[in-house]
Amino acid sequence: MKKSIASLSALLIAGSLLLSACSSDKGGNSANESANTPAASPTASAPADSGVIQASDLSKLPDTAKQRTDTIIVGLTDPSGAFTPYFHQSGYDGNVSSLLYTPLVTVDNKGVPIPALAESWDISPDNLTYTFHLRKDLKFSDGSPLTADDVAFTWTLLHDKAYDGDSQIPALHVKGGEAYKEGKASSIEGIKVIDPLTVSVTLEQPNASALTTLGSDVLSKAYYGKDYKFGQLDYIKKLHEKPVGTGPYKLEKFIPGQEVRFVANEYYYKGKPKTEHFIYKTSEGDTWQFLETGEIDFASFSATQENIEKLKSLGFVNILPYTPSTYGYLQVNLEHEALKDKKVRQAIAYGLDRQSIYVDANQGAGAVANIPSSPISWAYTEEGINPYKYDPEKAKALLDEAGWKVGADGIREKDGKQLTIHYLGSKKKDTDIFIAVAKENFAELGIKFEPEVFADFNALVSKVEGGDYDLASFSTPLLTDPADGLIQFVDGEIKGYDNPKFKELYDKGLATNDLEERKQIYKELFQLANDELPVIFTNYRKTVYAYNGRIQNLDVSPFNGIAPSLPDWYLQ
Amino acid sequence: MSAFITKRLLYTVVILFAASLLIFSLYALTPGDFITGNIKLTPERKAELREIYGLNKPVLERYAIWLKNALHGDLGYSMAQQKPVLTLFNQYIWNSFLLAAVSTFLTWVTAVIIGCVAAYKQYSWFDTLVMVAIFAAMSLPSFFIGLFLIKILAVDWKLLPPGGMIATGSQATGLAYVKEVIHHMTLPVIVMTIMGVGSLARYIRGSMIDVIKQDYIRTARAKGLKERKVLFTHALRNAMLPAITLVGFELPALFGGSLIIEKIFNWPGIGQLYLTSFGLRDYPLLMGFTVLIAILTVIGTLLSDILYRVADPRVRLQ
Amino acid sequence: MSTIGSEITKAGTAGTAPVRSSMWRQAARRLLKNRLAMLGLAVVVFMFAFCFIGPLFSPYTDNKIHLAQMNKPPSPQHWLGTDALGRDVLTRVMQAGRISLTVGLASMVLSVFIGSLLGAIAGYFRGICDQIIMRLADLLLTIPGLPLLFILGALLSEWKVPTEYRMYIVMLMLSLVNWPGLARMVRGEVLSLREREFMQAATVLGLRNRRKLFNHLLPNLVPLIIVIASLNVGGAILSESVLSFFGLGVMPPTPTWGNMIDSANNMIDFQKRPWLWIPPGFSIFVTVIAINIFGDGLRDVLDPRPRK
Repeated sequence: MKKSIASLSALLIAGSLLLSACSSDKGGNSANESANTPAASPTASAPADSGVIQASDLSKLPDTAKQRTDTIIVGLTDPSGAFTPYFHQSGYDGNVSSLLYTPLVTVDNKGVPIPALAESWDISPDNLTYTFHLRKDLKFSDGSPLTADDVAFTWTLLHDKAYDGDSQIPALHVKGGEAYKEGKASSIEGIKVIDPLTVSVTLEQPNASALTTLGSDVLSKAYYGKDYKFGQLDYIKKLHEKPVGTGPYKLEKFIPGQEVRFVANEYYYKGKPKTEHFIYKTSEGDTWQFLETGEIDFASFSATQENIEKLKSLGFVNILPYTPSTYGYLQVNLEHEALKDKKVRQAIAYGLDRQSIYVDANQGAGAVANIPSSPISWAYTEEGINPYKYDPEKAKALLDEAGWKVGADGIREKDGKQLTIHYLGSKKKDTDIFIAVAKENFAELGIKFEPEVFADFNALVSKVEGGDYDLASFSTPLLTDPADGLIQFVDGEIKGYDNPKFKELYDKGLATNDLEERKQIYKELFQLANDELPVIFTNYRKTVYAYNGRIQNLDVSPFNGIAPSLPDWYLQ
Repeated sequence: MSAFITKRLLYTVVILFAASLLIFSLYALTPGDFITGNIKLTPERKAELREIYGLNKPVLERYAIWLKNALHGDLGYSMAQQKPVLTLFNQYIWNSFLLAAVSTFLTWVTAVIIGCVAAYKQYSWFDTLVMVAIFAAMSLPSFFIGLFLIKILAVDWKLLPPGGMIATGSQATGLAYVKEVIHHMTLPVIVMTIMGVGSLARYIRGSMIDVIKQDYIRTARAKGLKERKVLFTHALRNAMLPAITLVGFELPALFGGSLIIEKIFNWPGIGQLYLTSFGLRDYPLLMGFTVLIAILTVIGTLLSDILYRVADPRVRLQ
Repeated sequence: MSTIGSEITKAGTAGTAPVRSSMWRQAARRLLKNRLAMLGLAVVVFMFAFCFIGPLFSPYTDNKIHLAQMNKPPSPQHWLGTDALGRDVLTRVMQAGRISLTVGLASMVLSVFIGSLLGAIAGYFRGICDQIIMRLADLLLTIPGLPLLFILGALLSEWKVPTEYRMYIVMLMLSLVNWPGLARMVRGEVLSLREREFMQAATVLGLRNRRKLFNHLLPNLVPLIIVIASLNVGGAILSESVLSFFGLGVMPPTPTWGNMIDSANNMIDFQKRPWLWIPPGFSIFVTVIAINIFGDGLRDVLDPRPRK
């Protein structure tokens, strides 16, 4: 009697689990419809980004979100508290500091430089000297005035020998910068303060990206330079959590691991932002639950069919499609016997069904990439670019041409060695898809595929640096200037690729500030990269932002995130 | 007794030194270091940074530097967070402690009650139901239960918040703050308790069943003692003996944070911090935390052993 | 139920071959009568058959990708639907079971063996033996498990161990990391047991240490060990799923119950596609419960102390 009760109870528990899961599957089963709708391929000028999809029914907004009147909340993965620009170690801290500081020069949605704190700038004819003209009456968030001295101080500080951040300013070859770093000079020769509103900097060699790199955030000399002694930068650590800046918002409170609270900065040069309070809420992993319960107002999701449908069904969010300014690629070990040969690399590009992997299996949340540039950049082009459309026959022909003939067991070999590809990927859903499809693709080509997945990114990079791999999946960090996407080919990161023509073009591209000229140069560069394939380009991602339908004036810059438009946001 | 404690303390110190060296070496041997993960840097810049951080020195030298500082109370600066390690601990550990303390307390109380009643009514329907429920709780992964409950209770029924420690943007202080934290704490504590109660209750139940069968319990009943006194004064005390060993293990868990729970519920605890730091190879933080847990573990086991001797007079001291 | 009785029986019936009812045989008979435990055993056996023999009947064992079939709910062609790459869920659950079950068992056997042996020795002989073993246990306990596993994973990659074997080695390491806890529990029990009357009687009888240990002490440890073992298998199977949650377990495309749940670990799959996570979750649930119930039944039956 008691035994049957036991079995019955066990069944009940198991059954209730099943029932609750099934009953949650109410509202329409659109899973069936999501089948195989390949995304429209990007046109030459700009990707097929439609505009904002408006919220259908704002009354569905959760109460927590309805009750807020002057606060906007956005999710952020993990801000750690080091909010001083140039010194933070994590990208998320960068998100925070972008709200607290304004640069001298910013970029518009195409990546073209536009004025911010600097109302104009001059570039000397030899492209070596940049002179910035600051706006009048600029103030820091504590009310103190911002002058050219602060700009000069910021640039000098970054040349200190103890500087451990990742700003590119020290790499720009400012005149006298090297001497300062080595302690031989007490100031930098190339930096000149002409008057309180004008400051100029001279480089030793032209570099078009210097405009935005040097024209970045300004640190207050009075605040950040008070205890500055050459070679001693530890005092700055104490200032990380009490930033003084020029951004639209000031830091109100930082609750570690939970929230970063901001309050509008009345000294902001464009006038006080419309919404008084702003909060970055720490949210790891699935942000769905926070959006659905109204805890946050803004979140980003991969642009899969399903995500978009689900967002639409929520009813109270606007949906903004968006292509991030990065590209994904397979890093190739150019010292590998087979991969040295351009034909083999091209064969892989033809032989991998990238359309299936990155677009179809991803429900349309991506596009195939063929050049080292993001489709939203002003330099993007498809002229003269080989799309490497999936063509296993062509791939096989190329491999045969390269001398890799199919052996007895179906695997190609040359000089007695088999063609194996050792692939490294990091643990994510995309990698699973890649490995599964690539396995089949490579089998068809007669290549032995040995995939390896790493949960720990650091270990993966370390292995790649050690040369113990053949292919590895990466994606670039945020690219601001088109040169950013090319730097890895010239600075020695891609071992074994040393093409003087490439380097020549790269330098040329930075030597001028004329956009049209640069566009032509980059077109040539992209065609070169597309043909040689020093890395195999794979994909662009497509994402959507979903935000509380009450928020007006929302816009997201692909290069600067929400910071540029945030001062104009307000809740209806 | 005091000779025993002194001897053990000596062993403890030796073990801690050995453990810290071993742990430091393990972290240093893990492929990749703090600089490796940042793919924006050029190879020269990487070399420069390694120089600045002292990461290019041999392992033993780095250990010696760390040890010297640690013995003076300086656990260094977290490389990723740019803050002193001790400050970070202070900011995060107490959140973990809160969750752990409450759920441990609830776990033990619930387990003892359930275990006792089930043992007393062995083979009754209550006993069987409890046993099945225990088995069920022990048979599902914790993240599964956590996500499931979030989905049902937080998203669908909107009873409890889906995560975090306080409501976003809340300005509550004092009692209102306490209420809010309790509100947010409910779900994680429920999950942690469910996970922990199962095995402990079963353990206690088994122990109680054995003890109840003993002759001295029969004697106590025969003497006419009230059943409650028999159960609690005589049976429970003896049944708890083997469980005493487990108390010591709770000490490191109280401060170590639960990686899974904190991840799922976005609870700002030390476990989450540790996980992130490991991916970044933030050595000062990793060492500081691991050594702290090591110290607590060793103290915990010592505590366990002492308690065991104190509680069970039959165990001879050597 | 000490074996002194059987000692006398053996001595007295040297020539004949009587029908002996050994402790084990009696236990087996009692076990068969315990219907709940038998149900547990039946389920476990069924799971083994399901996972090891089942795939032989499936047309989908090659795990080929069919993007056109992705994410389809259960249908006559796919009894449990398909996953994000169009693979048959039922077949994958069966194949996953092979790994999860083997890993659970292997890990349990190893950790219980090492833990019990060392714990018993430490508790029984005390003195220097005890100190060394317990200090070693302490040292191992202070090293945090998760980093050790991460490091191990990285090292295994360095040593070019094929991905298929890596999981087994990680589980082995898990069991080596688990033994200190087990040893402590066993030692605790041994410490109490050795003071009991039957042990004193054995000493008085002049039995040698090895005999006392194996013939008298260990049988009394068996119930505790069995409970530990049955809890451990369940724990090992669950650990595998947790390892997958952190990305340390077997990597896709090889399926394990743990990584199947982990891949479905997002809001959309959770809500819309229960056929992705319910089968592996349910399998874990059912297997672990069954093992625990059976283990409980075994314990009931093998306990030498007077029951009822």
